[in-house]
Amino acid sequence: MQKTMIASAALTLLLATTSLAQAETLKFLTWQLTEDTYGPWWEAVIAKFEETHPGDTVEATQIARQDFADTMMTQFAGGSPPDIVHLASFEYQPFAANGWLEDLGPWIEKAGLDLDGWAGQNLCTWEATTRCINLQYFAYIMGVNTALLEEAGLDVPKGWDEFIAAARALTKDVDGDGITDIYGTGLHLASGNNYINDMLNFVLDAGGSWTTPDGKPAFDTPEMVVAIDHWATLIREGLVPADTTGGDARQLFVEGKVAMRIENPGLAGVIETSASEEMKPNLTLVASPFDPPVGGASAIIGIPSEIPDERKQKVWDFIAIATSPEMQELFSEIVGAPAPRPGSVTEAVLASTPEYGLVVEAMEKAAAAGVDRVPVGLETHYNELASIVREEIQRMIIENRTAEDTAAVLQERVSALQ
Amino acid sequence: MSELSQSRTAVAAPRRSSGLFGIDLASPKHANKLGYLLLAPAALLILAILVYPMLLAIDISFHDVKFATLSFGASEYTLANYQKLFSSPDFWNAIRVTGQLLLVVTTISMAVGMGTALLVNQQFRGRSFARMLIALPWAIPEVVAVVTWVWILDASFGVLNWILIKIGLVGGPVSWFSSPGTAFSAVTMVMVWKGYPFISIMILAGLQSIPEEYYQAAKVDGANVFQRFFWVTIPCIAPVLGVTLILTVLWVFRDFSIIYVLTGGGPVGATETLAIMTYEEAFNFFRMGYASSIGVVTLIICAVISAFLVKKTSHAIY
Repeated sequence: MQKTMIASAALTLLLATTSLAQAETLKFLTWQLTEDTYGPWWEAVIAKFEETHPGDTVEATQIARQDFADTMMTQFAGGSPPDIVHLASFEYQPFAANGWLEDLGPWIEKAGLDLDGWAGQNLCTWEATTRCINLQYFAYIMGVNTALLEEAGLDVPKGWDEFIAAARALTKDVDGDGITDIYGTGLHLASGNNYINDMLNFVLDAGGSWTTPDGKPAFDTPEMVVAIDHWATLIREGLVPADTTGGDARQLFVEGKVAMRIENPGLAGVIETSASEEMKPNLTLVASPFDPPVGGASAIIGIPSEIPDERKQKVWDFIAIATSPEMQELFSEIVGAPAPRPGSVTEAVLASTPEYGLVVEAMEKAAAAGVDRVPVGLETHYNELASIVREEIQRMIIENRTAEDTAAVLQERVSALQ
Repeated sequence: MSELSQSRTAVAAPRRSSGLFGIDLASPKHANKLGYLLLAPAALLILAILVYPMLLAIDISFHDVKFATLSFGASEYTLANYQKLFSSPDFWNAIRVTGQLLLVVTTISMAVGMGTALLVNQQFRGRSFARMLIALPWAIPEVVAVVTWVWILDASFGVLNWILIKIGLVGGPVSWFSSPGTAFSAVTMVMVWKGYPFISIMILAGLQSIPEEYYQAAKVDGANVFQRFFWVTIPCIAPVLGVTLILTVLWVFRDFSIIYVLTGGGPVGATETLAIMTYEEAFNFFRMGYASSIGVVTLIICAVISAFLVKKTSHAIY
């Protein structure tokens, strides 16, 4: 009896020790953990991983969006990258170029993951290899304040001419104190790459693009001159609040101080959580007035190339869970926007909110037009491109330059990047 | 052996101890060794957190790399970063902006700091409250204070524009961050607001150390208030002024958060200092080698300015 007890205890101890030795904690840094929409989805993915990998845990850490690329770069450069690599789709390229991301091709093949029709996945191809899996693809829609539109006797604008007319009519100094109280629209005018993301609405509508299909800068085309002129008109005429970030513009929209805001589908959630009960009925989502709408991959997931193989396997297991049909359907349900896996939007989800169909339609339009925010050929210069474009538009407005001159300078400066 | 002799043996034993590594550190002969030993932890810490990163940055500046690693000589040595830097108009613009900011902010901050210190050095009711008010901007965390200033200076909904329009000083809202002149003024104003309390506190401490007898003697000699200020106050607080000037210059030179939060270095590079340029190149454009070369040049300029000021201010004492 005593021998049996000792043997049992020894076996238990051995199993426990073995289990402890194999148990690992995967480090995961993200900027989405505390977001109302993405946070619960990540929690569900982590819970599923921990349930299927007894003893293993995922240590998720929230990092502010504005510090995220710096933090990740510092961790990679210091030789201690997080196990699960989560990056914005426009910032992963320098990491791939530096050889820090695992080629996922063999993992995808081994797991039999079908990426045909996976929205935004082409962005993850780096030097003919797959360095990531796209986790989000969205297209822009527009939020409008219907009360202000009705008061001005306007319909929801379609196209540039109606949009600028509406912006002019809706910009008002209500109390006559010399200060504008309501702006026609709001743009991201602060530093950062949201500047060119917002501007891309006008570029695409004018028929332009940052680069040609083979990756050469295309700033001096007639279409780009028109786009630059449209963008600058909104700023010059004071139809947008000055120096705002996209977040500021969104907040002003839900407060009724900006009448129209072209945004990603996350605007629906912001209206729900931030708008007052009196304001909510006035705020409606409609299709973007511009065609095609801005769209693109938003966030990717990958594996660091320098971690041990057994850890890579666990990270792949995590990725497999995140990209599974179950979790992709959950994403579409929780986030309020379609997940990139084809067929992840169920009929029930589609019927859940009136604007869901709008979001899906915008996404399909953008995807069909091959739109992505990250310009081909300038993937590793995305931040610098944003900085140059913003600086030259500022110079255009300060020095009263023409759109043609600005387009020419932009062409020269951007060409020098390559 | 008696008890007494046993006791003497016991007491004498530690004195014959060979000490650390056989060295009797209590001996006057080895007093300097003890000093070095006690300093060693601090010196090693400084080597680890200051000297090593500095050497690494210098090393990286001689490599044409986008991303840095923590090892020396990871790729081929080159002067490409420095060649690019010295031929870049952006770099010379950053030097000019840094110089202008240094001159304007330091001058105004020193003047305001001196004025407020002289004010709260006088006897009046509510002096303690006034001293607290003067020190307040210094106590507020920099980023918190600057974000508040961003709201105050907001072109569309900021309170400053509202006040200026209400009292009729301007006809319409001023876009503080949209034109080079107003952006530079806004940065200067916030830096002075944030920086003058430190100067004020330092000078106040200096003023309080001046013996009252000096002023009484000057009065007896017929010196008026300005003569007493220039011939008693200034010479007596000259060492304090010197140290404060060096610290203020270095603060303005390396300050990043105020400018970054307010303007990000814009518009069109009007507020882009060397610190902002270094950050942009390193963490926005991921050009670590180039950013390190800017950092190295900044370090050299700071060292030269500090050496010059230390030399100058060390002579300005009676």
